[in-house]
Amino acid sequence: MKFQKTGYHGLYFPELGISLDGYHPKAAYTFVSHAHADHMPRNKSTRAYASKPTLELMKLRGFRGKENPIAFGEPVETDNCRITLYPAGHILGSAMIYIESDSGTLLYTGDYRTPPSPASEGFEAPDHADFLITEATFGLPIYRWKPYEELTFQIQSFAKESLEAGYTPIFLAYNLGKAQEVMHLVAPLDHPVMIHGAGYKLCSVYDNYGIELGNYSAYDRETCEGKILIAPSSALSNGFASNLRKTRVAYCSGWAANESRRTQLTVDKLIPISDHLDFFELIAFCKKLNPKKVYITHTPNPAVVQHYLDLENIDSAHLEMEAEPED
Amino acid sequence: MKATFIRFCEVIQSIRQTRGNNAKIRLFADYMAGLESDEELNLAAQFIGEGAFPELSGKRTSVGSRTSGLAAAEFCEIDYDKVFKPCRTATGSSSETIERLMENIPAAVEKRNPVKLTLAEVHQIAENLYQASGRDDKKAILWSAWERMSAIEIKYFIRILGQGSLRIGFETRSVIASIAKAFESDRESVRYAHMITGSLGRTAILARENRLDEARFKLFHPLSFMLASPIESRSVEQIEEYVAEEKFDGMRAQLHTDGKKVKIFSRDLNDITRSFPDIVNFFTKRELPPAVFDGEICVYKDDIILPFQLLQKRMGIKKPGKKILNQYPVLFIAYDLLYTNNRPIFDLKLTDRRALLEQITGQFNVPIASQNSLTGTDDVETLYNRALEHGNEGLVLKLKESAYEYGQRRKSWLKVKKPGGSFDTVMMYAHAGSGKRGGTYSDFTLGISVKDDERYEEEFIPIGKAYGGYSDDELKKMNQKIKELTVERYGPTLGLLPKLVIEIEFDEIQINKRTKAGYTLRFPRFRAIRWDLGPNDVNTLKDVEAYYQQSLEKERLPQHKNPSFTFG
Repeated sequence: MKFQKTGYHGLYFPELGISLDGYHPKAAYTFVSHAHADHMPRNKSTRAYASKPTLELMKLRGFRGKENPIAFGEPVETDNCRITLYPAGHILGSAMIYIESDSGTLLYTGDYRTPPSPASEGFEAPDHADFLITEATFGLPIYRWKPYEELTFQIQSFAKESLEAGYTPIFLAYNLGKAQEVMHLVAPLDHPVMIHGAGYKLCSVYDNYGIELGNYSAYDRETCEGKILIAPSSALSNGFASNLRKTRVAYCSGWAANESRRTQLTVDKLIPISDHLDFFELIAFCKKLNPKKVYITHTPNPAVVQHYLDLENIDSAHLEMEAEPED
Repeated sequence: MKATFIRFCEVIQSIRQTRGNNAKIRLFADYMAGLESDEELNLAAQFIGEGAFPELSGKRTSVGSRTSGLAAAEFCEIDYDKVFKPCRTATGSSSETIERLMENIPAAVEKRNPVKLTLAEVHQIAENLYQASGRDDKKAILWSAWERMSAIEIKYFIRILGQGSLRIGFETRSVIASIAKAFESDRESVRYAHMITGSLGRTAILARENRLDEARFKLFHPLSFMLASPIESRSVEQIEEYVAEEKFDGMRAQLHTDGKKVKIFSRDLNDITRSFPDIVNFFTKRELPPAVFDGEICVYKDDIILPFQLLQKRMGIKKPGKKILNQYPVLFIAYDLLYTNNRPIFDLKLTDRRALLEQITGQFNVPIASQNSLTGTDDVETLYNRALEHGNEGLVLKLKESAYEYGQRRKSWLKVKKPGGSFDTVMMYAHAGSGKRGGTYSDFTLGISVKDDERYEEEFIPIGKAYGGYSDDELKKMNQKIKELTVERYGPTLGLLPKLVIEIEFDEIQINKRTKAGYTLRFPRFRAIRWDLGPNDVNTLKDVEAYYQQSLEKERLPQHKNPSFTFG
């Protein structure tokens, strides 16, 4: 199956007339895995096919092309192929894109997480694909995630203990996906939450699809004391909650697995909760899908993943994309 | 109850995760207060502040990051080059990488069966490593230790083996504060006892037993040096309160003598007596009463202080021969007195110590630095210029009322130094940072041009490695640029296209035959990233050689007029 890069992070399939996660002038269909900036097409002429929540989130983040919602598991037939979305467990609306054509089957993962994020539609995958294009953001064996029960416990107890000691807890979490996941996990505490403006406007989509985000409002400097606060990591250096004297800060990201982040960000707690799958899940997934060839993207360490796929006798190649791994 | 290593590690981990120095100090104080035996207290204080062995013992396990990395890769059944190294680059820490692999990789988890080793058992393992020679023997000992440890114990065990700081934001000063807090002692007395004993473990025991006053200064045990701050960073309000001495173009040293025996210590408190038999001879001949001097070793010939570069020829040599001794004769020039009349005098103020120093040097004809009083900044200017004419580095201004603040760098001594040189260089390699700078490329090998130099095949060769002088913002920008310039990857190091020009600053050039250029720079650091320059604009090896020759041949004023020191 032939494909080539298009734009900064998209793929174009000339024989099929489709593109994934990027605009191409000759593509009649552009399938979008999810609404993160490093996957979302920006061109106004894009005919985007994606899950409904993804399209709604894209719109809120400035997408102005044509929107064609499709449901998970319900195939779209084009002239040359059949496309099915599978829930990717990464963020709300995130999908893996499964292509069936005369030249074989291909699964494009976008970003994915298994076991899935509790603030997503879950995770489901086809049993087999001839080709797999997979992200490998955390493609090193130093990355193995703790089960959600434990991560939830860490997040909830950080919030509870900080509040009990008279501190305002701040969770540093990326605006789309991680922020809402953390809100979902602290919702059972039934304590008011305030979220940074950029993330706030995206929350309504989560509400609409029945993800419980608890009692939340937009961040307000004057009244934020004593609330559970949520902000992207860049916010702290821009004066977020800088009027509060007693705060405790937790950084929620897969990158929090690395101790060096502690001093780089000056935080009290590192909570390694990721919306990408870990290294061990990645290798297990490749084995299970048993493709003829795996293409690895979105990773600083393709050689390590390839080394492990070699050991499993799975053919692989590095597909270089220009993208910052955001988590 | 026996103190376990896992408990120690848990305390270390919570110190690591706690912000605020006082809270950290409290954690360790509480832990130490709960330890029962002297042996346990000794080891706990030693492990956190010094390493597997006491700093004074000079003992090392010689388990480098390659030895432990190779052993760990094999233990985890992973490829060292293909898997371990990229992991280490991502974390910026070898011990953290090993901890996480030990926790994550099934093969490693299966091999391990943690048994809660005691502090004493861990110390014994370190001792075994010290006794063992060869990587295979060391590997066998590491393996059997790891089999009995949890992942976090393994991490801190490896850090302890490295001697020195555990890199948890808890340095010697904090350990001292914890000892004072744990045993309700005066912090200054604890610091003093540590200074004298040189051992955190010993200090902790003395504090617990209320015997801190037994820690006394002993002849032939080095005392940490008092250090000078750069004057730029401190404003001098009352210049008359200072005196000025020339900052000699030599090597700082501390000399102990009891009349018969002489010992000389370098600034890092190593015994360097054997390298300077001529100085030993000079002092034994004079049969001084017991005394400890702070001063400078300089090459001195024909009434002239010769460049530090020549002293270098003496520094590495343990037993210098006659030829070297004649070629590079050295002198110890005293400028402070720390011990006399059988008692330490570092609590006396400078003027009083100076009076005692002058007495001894006068009586025994020992070289002593000239001291000048100051009436205004004009004096500083004149004296500074004179110092440079002598070939010295500048001035040290010393507060007359100050005690000898051993081990400290405060405002009492201020150095006025000549500005360093600078070169435009090209960035050749970027190295992954470690610790705080983990995950970014923060150390850089910089090169000079040898394009038109028939001695070399290459276009550029390295001249030095710099890892400071840039802002966080600049580091970010450079990292972006480095991504574009990367052509090769060797583990944590990136080979770059020679495009990015860096203006560097340095204190001095030295000959170094082991480098490709034949020279190294002292204290190279960034001055500016020259986005405006290209690789054709960088300095050449010929420029470096010319600079070195110039600094060597620069005429130096003899000492007979306005001397920077006198004989007693």
